[in-house]
Amino acid sequence: MKILVCVKQAYVPSSNILLDKDPPRIHYNTGGFKINSYDEYGIEEALRIKESASKIDEHTYVHAISVGPDRVETVIKRAMEMGADEGIHIQCNASEELSPYQVAYLIASYAKDKQYDIVITGVMSDDGMYMQTGTMIAGLIGYPHISSVVLQELRKDHSLYIEAEHDGRRRQTFEVKLPCVLTVQSGINKPRYPSLSNVLRVKKQKILKIQATDIGIPEAREAIVKMFLPNIKQKGVILDGTPMEKATKLLKLLHEKSLI
Amino acid sequence: MHGSILVVAQHTKGKVDVVTYEAVSCAMKLCKENSSHLKIVVLGDQTELIADEISKKTGINTIGVNNKYLNLYNSEVYIESLLKLFEQLTVEYVVIPHTSTGYDFAPLLAVKLGASCITEVEDINTDKDKPSFIRAMFNGKLYTEVVPNKDVTIITTQPGSWQPMKDKADKKGDVNIIRIDIAPKNIKSIALKEAEFKENELNSSEIIISAGRGIGKRENLSLIYELARLFPKSAVGCSRAVCDAGWLDYKHQIGITGNTVSPKLYMAVGISGAIQHTSGIKDAQMIVAINNDPSARIFNLADYGIVEDLTQFIPLLIQEYKKLFFSQKP
Repeated sequence: MKILVCVKQAYVPSSNILLDKDPPRIHYNTGGFKINSYDEYGIEEALRIKESASKIDEHTYVHAISVGPDRVETVIKRAMEMGADEGIHIQCNASEELSPYQVAYLIASYAKDKQYDIVITGVMSDDGMYMQTGTMIAGLIGYPHISSVVLQELRKDHSLYIEAEHDGRRRQTFEVKLPCVLTVQSGINKPRYPSLSNVLRVKKQKILKIQATDIGIPEAREAIVKMFLPNIKQKGVILDGTPMEKATKLLKLLHEKSLI
Repeated sequence: MHGSILVVAQHTKGKVDVVTYEAVSCAMKLCKENSSHLKIVVLGDQTELIADEISKKTGINTIGVNNKYLNLYNSEVYIESLLKLFEQLTVEYVVIPHTSTGYDFAPLLAVKLGASCITEVEDINTDKDKPSFIRAMFNGKLYTEVVPNKDVTIITTQPGSWQPMKDKADKKGDVNIIRIDIAPKNIKSIALKEAEFKENELNSSEIIISAGRGIGKRENLSLIYELARLFPKSAVGCSRAVCDAGWLDYKHQIGITGNTVSPKLYMAVGISGAIQHTSGIKDAQMIVAINNDPSARIFNLADYGIVEDLTQFIPLLIQEYKKLFFSQKP
């Protein structure tokens, strides 16, 4: 069985986002790039499927793929150090400016003739938060998909039993035939740490490199025409003073409203 | 505007979900209150009653698509049914509530139609010729205005960002029920499981002290519990990230996929304030936020904000509380 897990390197700054106004552009600070937290759950789930498949005597390979410039090698390597067998890098400059459709197109173009049984993505990314890419990959390859997966079980007949998150803390359950795409929700598992043996293996291993321009980047179907920081609403008050003064002010406020 | 605007209703177990009426509000803004091109579609196995209810409440023409394979949501059936419907309609915008169902099929519909896709829309700018759509990135730290460039645009509406449309008493929309019995091919919908913990002290607590990822580590939950102890009848809640990290059970989760609460006091400690969490705070008389990131979105919602390191500030707050309320000098 072959599993493709899609990994994004997301931009997660710890404080303010710096902006150019015209044309709208974010100033990226290199220290702010991190593996998309939802994709860590994706990698882990792929590895768990691999482990359960091996119990019914199936050779399963997990490939990790990412789209972006050189810096995304870090997240591909992370996936491999956790246990993914191969890494694929679709090299693309300024990938942070690509829309979900464009990224989905690149990944689907690579994957569609490779006979992957399962393609896994996180349900969303920490930065764009679009919640589109995984589902679009499914549409472009022609695989069925289930999003927001919180539980999966591989059955002997090569189908998957799935529990997907539904609102109000409910879950909808499905059976899906392979091949398929799953987008996983946070908390589905506890991602493992890289193992020493995998880290050593990855040091000597090559990652397959493909140029996005060789695949052909399709035109974006939407454009961001403006970016702005949210206004702090007038109704809110940020307490000022020393920490002690703030503490006292807060307690007095709560006491005035008979809350404490 | 030459094509229709189609709103895809969401319903669960025979009830129309309120997000449907939020999506209708969005669609009304999109068509600048001229609802002649607006239609609502309900997909299910028996849509007559729901379609009727929606057309009465909104005054908008409603289509009920009956499909015997839809006693539960199924993406394959939804997509094929909608594509069949679009053979009869010239659609310019499709408006879908951004729920676990909505975002499951909206992007796929966009791919099938070659359409633009804009998710989690919180507002629309109708000042110019063509509308543009406002959505957040980076957990609410940045907002973007997005313009589609294809003939058809699929949008999903962010729950909690739109006021549900009010009842239209004057006219009732037409209802048209059609039958499209397309079977799913690869996905079988089995059941809808209820949550394990339904009755929850969170729903009835007047005071909620809520922890976010910003508490840093499981051990710091003790600060949250100590803070909660200052208030009688309080409960501890949290954002999803705290549950995902395994620090608290999911029954404490407040947000779209967790509990919805309406307390007198909501204290958000180390919570960034992403909309998936804050839309679970339906009504709170007072929101107090403690976070050391001044750009956190929670400060837009809080009545009182404190930009401090919670690991320093909470012990200080407890200390000051004891001084103010317990130092009775004889």
